[in-house]
Amino acid sequence: MAEIEVLPEIEHEEKTGSKSELEPAWLVICWNDPVNLMTYVSHVFQKVFGWTRQKAEQHMLEVHRQGKSLLVRTTMEKAEHYVHQLQKYTLHATMERES
Amino acid sequence: MKVQKSGKDKIALLLSAREKEILFDTIALYPLVPASHHRLTKAEEAQSVENQRLLEESLAEQRAANRRHVDALLNDPAQFKKVGAQFRLKLSHAELDWLLQVFNDIRVGAWLALGEPDETKQPEISAENIRYAIALEVCGAFESVLLAALGETESSDWLS
Repeated sequence: MAEIEVLPEIEHEEKTGSKSELEPAWLVICWNDPVNLMTYVSHVFQKVFGWTRQKAEQHMLEVHRQGKSLLVRTTMEKAEHYVHQLQKYTLHATMERES
Repeated sequence: MKVQKSGKDKIALLLSAREKEILFDTIALYPLVPASHHRLTKAEEAQSVENQRLLEESLAEQRAANRRHVDALLNDPAQFKKVGAQFRLKLSHAELDWLLQVFNDIRVGAWLALGEPDETKQPEISAENIRYAIALEVCGAFESVLLAALGETESSDWLS
């Protein structure tokens, strides 16, 4: 009797995007606080995100003029890390799920 | 307090005896922001007791480390070198960065203690809260000097 060879099922993977693209997106937002110095906020953005001074200042001005700035869109884990870092510097930052 | 020298590795600050005394008195307030002040998210459904506890623990650890750095700095007589009638304080960029965190914690904590004043709402100063009003201004002044030493200065365009 011939042996029956059982072959593994071939999984057809739908390629709709990378893992990180499929994970729920979280938004790291910095909110305006009238107490924080503008230069301080710019300094913190450079330290936490490694941004250039120009980019940091653009986001700082957005916080100042519009009340908030969306800093990054990322995974939950990274968003938590960034929020912790920003709060370490006593900035008003939160992470919100992208709707 | 003013910047005497801003180098690649170290920044030297000059303080008068009075400024040194004010620096010590102000830093003694650290940490001032309540642990529960920070929230991970504004969305109520995403609030988690466990995540909030982890956040508060992480911030408490960071603040305890900053407190140890501050104590080591202030209790080391070699850090403050007498130069004529003034004192020279040399800071590395890392030391300057955590000193900024300390000043801003005191500044935000003082602002909270004063009822979060802004341009439209001035705080009512009393004998009980005057130390917070002073700390708010002193920390702002110290922060501005440290930030200027890092090249962070306000632009006139920002106010337009």
